[in-house]
Amino acid sequence: MRALELSLKDKMRMNTQTNLYALPVRDLLEGAPRYLFFTGKGGVGKTSIASATALALAQAGKQTLLVSTDPASNLDEVLGLELARKARAVPGADGFFALNIDPEAAAAAYREKVVGPMRGLLPEAALRGMEEQLSGACTMEIAAFDEFTAFLGGEDAGEYDHIVFDTAPTGHTLRLMALSQAWTTFFNENTSGNSCLGPLAGLEKQRSLYAEAVEVLKDSEKTRVVLVSRAQRAALKEARRTWKELVALGIGNQCLALNGWFEPVHADDPVSRHWVERQTRAVDGERGFLHSLPLFRAPLLPSNLIGLDVLRAFFQDPEHAAGTAFADGTDDSAPALPGIDELADRLAPQGRGVILTMGKGGVGKTTVAAALGLALAERGADVRISTTDPAAHLADAFGDTKGGLEIERIDPKAETEAYVGEVLAQQPADMDPDSRALLEEDLRSPCTEEIAVFRAFARTVARGADSIVVLDTAPTGHTLLLLDATQSYHRELGRQSRTTKHSEAIEKLLPRLRDPGFTRVLLVTLPEATPVHEAAALQDDLRRAEIEPHAWIINQSMAEVGTREPVLAARGRAEIRYIHEVLDTHAAGPVYSIPWSTVEPVGTEGLKALSQNERKELAR
Amino acid sequence: MKSIQIYDPPMCCSTGVCGPEVDPILPRVAGMLHQLAGHGVHVERYNLAQQPVAFARNPQVRAVLESDGTDALPMIFIDGELEMQGRYPEQTERAAWMKRAREANGAGVAE
Repeated sequence: MRALELSLKDKMRMNTQTNLYALPVRDLLEGAPRYLFFTGKGGVGKTSIASATALALAQAGKQTLLVSTDPASNLDEVLGLELARKARAVPGADGFFALNIDPEAAAAAYREKVVGPMRGLLPEAALRGMEEQLSGACTMEIAAFDEFTAFLGGEDAGEYDHIVFDTAPTGHTLRLMALSQAWTTFFNENTSGNSCLGPLAGLEKQRSLYAEAVEVLKDSEKTRVVLVSRAQRAALKEARRTWKELVALGIGNQCLALNGWFEPVHADDPVSRHWVERQTRAVDGERGFLHSLPLFRAPLLPSNLIGLDVLRAFFQDPEHAAGTAFADGTDDSAPALPGIDELADRLAPQGRGVILTMGKGGVGKTTVAAALGLALAERGADVRISTTDPAAHLADAFGDTKGGLEIERIDPKAETEAYVGEVLAQQPADMDPDSRALLEEDLRSPCTEEIAVFRAFARTVARGADSIVVLDTAPTGHTLLLLDATQSYHRELGRQSRTTKHSEAIEKLLPRLRDPGFTRVLLVTLPEATPVHEAAALQDDLRRAEIEPHAWIINQSMAEVGTREPVLAARGRAEIRYIHEVLDTHAAGPVYSIPWSTVEPVGTEGLKALSQNERKELAR
Repeated sequence: MKSIQIYDPPMCCSTGVCGPEVDPILPRVAGMLHQLAGHGVHVERYNLAQQPVAFARNPQVRAVLESDGTDALPMIFIDGELEMQGRYPEQTERAAWMKRAREANGAGVAE
């Protein structure tokens, strides 16, 4: 840590655009401890930076193991090696080993370990109920952490000088793990509850091992956490949240890698200019956070890093790496896709129902919802927009529009607080401290916010009975399946055991969502590998809940935009294969596209620019 | 009362807060069990999603699951006898159980 601070002082240089002190990304290697964790929002480039780091460490003569956990990654392609659960030597790089832990496979293995032996012993309905409960995010996280612990000082750490993880456990998992030792005692003494620790029950490792693993994570001599972000509002916000949460858990050795930093060649190109403006705005909004920890910067590249040569160059000479990657991509032009104005033409006459924009964070769900809502209102439909986006500017955008457009903001934080307050208020005043502690920890689980927002969601969906409701948030398929299970479960005992009223909105929610005449799910993605693969996974999840997406929307496509900026034009070319992948492999229904807009998608004009008709003029 | 055994339906957490709608009775039941244990009652709690072996091992539970499915859960046994099925105890029932526990075990405990 001290070495890092010294080098910071020595090497900090002013960035011409933003006066942001940042080191080149290769300085990440300086004073690297044994364990390096890379974490951040999907699509920010965790895997790329983690692999480049691992390769550079190996090149410096250190035995290095890269542990990948990204099921959708193209790391096999990047390293030219089929990754397995056992470490394999990466060809062409001495001392570089890699392996892959697929958290879904880890969770599936765990699930099978619990459910498998019960086949034939328990009825089918019981087995199904178990499997669904064991499909949640908690199980996946904990199963992955279980595999991690083997490397954190465990037997698999072996002789490696460095172990690089392309992901890190969340605060919730770490709290559970740290508490597990103390709680084991508590549960042995009385089995009054098994809490979210439950998924640990079937794991073979000793709970004391988990607690040791957490200690390793907290030791700044042993572990550094690299928060990876882009210069984008949502990604930076998530990085800040993770940073705070990890600091609260005593993990002090953290730094931030700002990936995809854009320095234009043609500053006067309209696309370049707007890209810089957005980047600067995002960074300005997080200045306090960015100055709180060591900061590294990596340049925007035209496409994914493929091959060891490019990966090597990424650290040594990023501009050169960018240059070599220009060769990648295709000469095909982008397939012509309809714009969302055509979607609005089709949906406006319906007059009622729910439109859901779904997709992973950062793909533009809110913007798409707002633009579509506006287009529908212009076509005379009675439209309500419901958003969880805390940024008031989106709502302000509609200040100047009249007629039928209504905005409702769902504040996840307020909903969560209300929910937690309600649950705690329902508890008897004389509740013993242990039980209360157990309940409070459960309420800090990642599930809680989702459930709180879920209730607001059910309320809003019910309004689709008499107008068009456009919603930018939706629960995951897992939550919907739980709802299904809960409903059938409570149908029998509702009268007796439930004191909360099972509201009509919640009762009818699932049938409404499953009705293709009432609900239209729009899967929003960017034309890039990770968001497309995550949207495809989301589609599978929805189908398990018997909800069929209505259409796919490819957002912020650079492929259709004319720019002289080489890196951006090359990004556009690199997008084409992912657009084809959506068309050929994933989408069962229509696919619409929204080009990257030089106009900030705020305000009536900005949002209109996302429709097909206006964009042609703007491209000039 | 010497012992109580609860066979829960498949749940994420025994407090129920991970479900789409919290059932306020679940944390109260957890609290009651904790207090029963304090009175010397032997408490066992099994969640179908987490301790399925316990369900398979108990012939009575298995038989009910086969005929009525998971709707029959929870099943609650007191001193080995099936006391309640398909629901959790209400306030008055919980109070009665607490009383039974105190009466059965109170003699040995300084009050």
